[in-house]
Amino acid sequence: MRSYVLQRLAQFLIVFLAVTFGVMVLLRLGLDAPGDPARSMLGGFASQDLIDATNARYHLTSNYFVQYFHWLKGLLVDQDLGYSASNSMAVSTMIGRRIVTTLLLGFYAIGSGLLLAVPLAVAQAYRRDRWFDKSSSFVTFIFVSVPSIVIAVFLKWLFVDTFSLFPRIADKVYPWQDPWEHAVNFALPTLTLALPAAAVFSRLLRGELVLTLQSDFIGLARAKGMSPRRILWRHALRNSAFTCLTSVGVQLGVVLGGAIIAETFFDLDGMGLLLITAVLTNDLFTVQSITALLVITVVVANLAIDLLYSAIDPRVRLASALQ
Amino acid sequence: MTLGQLTPTSVEQAAAASAAAEAVPADPRRQRIPPGPAFGIVFLAVLVLLAVLADVLPFVREATDKVVVDDTTMTRYRLGPGTTALFGTDALGTDVFAKCLYGARTTLLVGVGATAIGLAFGGALGLLAGYLRGLVDRAVGILVDGMLAMPGIVLAIVMIVKLDVIKEDFGFLGWLTRRWQITITLGILATAPLARIVRAQTMSLREREFVLAARSIGATTRRVLGREILPNLAPTMITVSCTGLGILIAAEAALAFLGLSVEVPTPTWGKLIDQNRNNLDVGWWATIFPCVLLFLTVLSFNLVGDWLAKRFDIKRAAI
Repeated sequence: MRSYVLQRLAQFLIVFLAVTFGVMVLLRLGLDAPGDPARSMLGGFASQDLIDATNARYHLTSNYFVQYFHWLKGLLVDQDLGYSASNSMAVSTMIGRRIVTTLLLGFYAIGSGLLLAVPLAVAQAYRRDRWFDKSSSFVTFIFVSVPSIVIAVFLKWLFVDTFSLFPRIADKVYPWQDPWEHAVNFALPTLTLALPAAAVFSRLLRGELVLTLQSDFIGLARAKGMSPRRILWRHALRNSAFTCLTSVGVQLGVVLGGAIIAETFFDLDGMGLLLITAVLTNDLFTVQSITALLVITVVVANLAIDLLYSAIDPRVRLASALQ
Repeated sequence: MTLGQLTPTSVEQAAAASAAAEAVPADPRRQRIPPGPAFGIVFLAVLVLLAVLADVLPFVREATDKVVVDDTTMTRYRLGPGTTALFGTDALGTDVFAKCLYGARTTLLVGVGATAIGLAFGGALGLLAGYLRGLVDRAVGILVDGMLAMPGIVLAIVMIVKLDVIKEDFGFLGWLTRRWQITITLGILATAPLARIVRAQTMSLREREFVLAARSIGATTRRVLGREILPNLAPTMITVSCTGLGILIAAEAALAFLGLSVEVPTPTWGKLIDQNRNNLDVGWWATIFPCVLLFLTVLSFNLVGDWLAKRFDIKRAAI
């Protein structure tokens, strides 16, 4: 178990370092002349003194490795992510406000996706190949194929323009300020992201459940007179959760990417919206920090799921030990 | 939905499943095409035909032509869907149907180009990693894991904007229009998942007897890869690129929606959706029809991809 955890942690570190370093180099491409990164950060009218000061503070004239080291130190030790000139604000303050919105959105989307998917998949597998299974499998196949912008457009058309159930512009409200307002503002973006995720989860889980229900231990449970409900929810579901749980990690990345679209579409003031403006204004530190935070979120979630699952299910540990 | 959903576990299962499935007696080629994939094929064929022939067909206007009825230009969504303009008119008074067809042209070209790039790079990386193993495999693994750790759309946004900057710096990159930038970016995004799938397949193929036979009569690595393994990868590659095309087309629309689309006069579906989405209450048709086309196209690619996977007996993640 310990070697498995160490192996996974090492992999996590390598991926994190490789991606954040890669993003930094990518962002600085085309800005090779000394002082260029500072100038593009501060805008065309910055004085030479200010440029020099910025260069010195963030070591922008050093080579990539030194710059990367200082940025990483800022992220981990000083909580200083740099300065955004186009917003005249420290990047950490700017992100701090918005990261809550995006992470909540991701959490709601994955959570409601699972809440929709699990009962659906269980119902489908319980009466396999009957009309309910067939018709709902058709529906989930369709939802797997719908791009998130299309869902967003239809939700808005239906609920905002036709029935006026939701306000046109959602002011960002944190859950601790006004829970009802918060729920109203987050409902449509959450649904936009949750529906495709739910479709993916339920398809994976249904397939796995159908296989599990054919195995011998289910037959034994049935033979000794266990109720079908208990068999389904306690025995079959537990043994079928692996693929679906693993895909939660992958889907989190998808949902966080989709959050950019949902936030833009429904005017939710989150990291996605910030990222778009930052990329377009060449705001180096903001882009670098947002991508790093997104990568950390996705990789840590995947790591947590892996470790959690290997703690629950010894087969996973054994399989990795054998490799 | 992104390419990241083609997870490694499912692919490794797929390799095992396709090895085990050789004993299946019925020849799936004799079976008729089921209604779902048949719909997909017909829809895609009609769409491609209309997009290619848009210039020639008499009932398709130019994308920039204004629709005029009784000497008034039908600006501001004045004309709904009907016989004059099939999908109605938009804010400028142009024909939404014509714009959709010309948009299909751009969208499909970008999707196919990106898939080709992804297949070339991802195929090469996966093939080398899966066959040579060792250090190459490790290096490719880190690259692929890293690319999949980042939400695809984030990488795409950064890359497209960056290519703008790089283009200005180097004179010889004049050919690098936005269309090429998007194609290349999406191609790179498609590389990682394709490499992963090809690697898994190659790993199972390299243990097979015909590869051993070729090696034992002294075939070079290049020959084994090119003549023995690559042809056997073709069904997987075709199937995966079919589903991948749907995903890339959706990604292109998402980028267009975020304002990172092709040059101004050329329409794409994503751009049409973005331009008209705030006027859903005035003229729903200008937004909804591109949405429906986009959805049906992605659905068709998925239906065909799913069917091909069953036919070639490739098990992918149920996406």
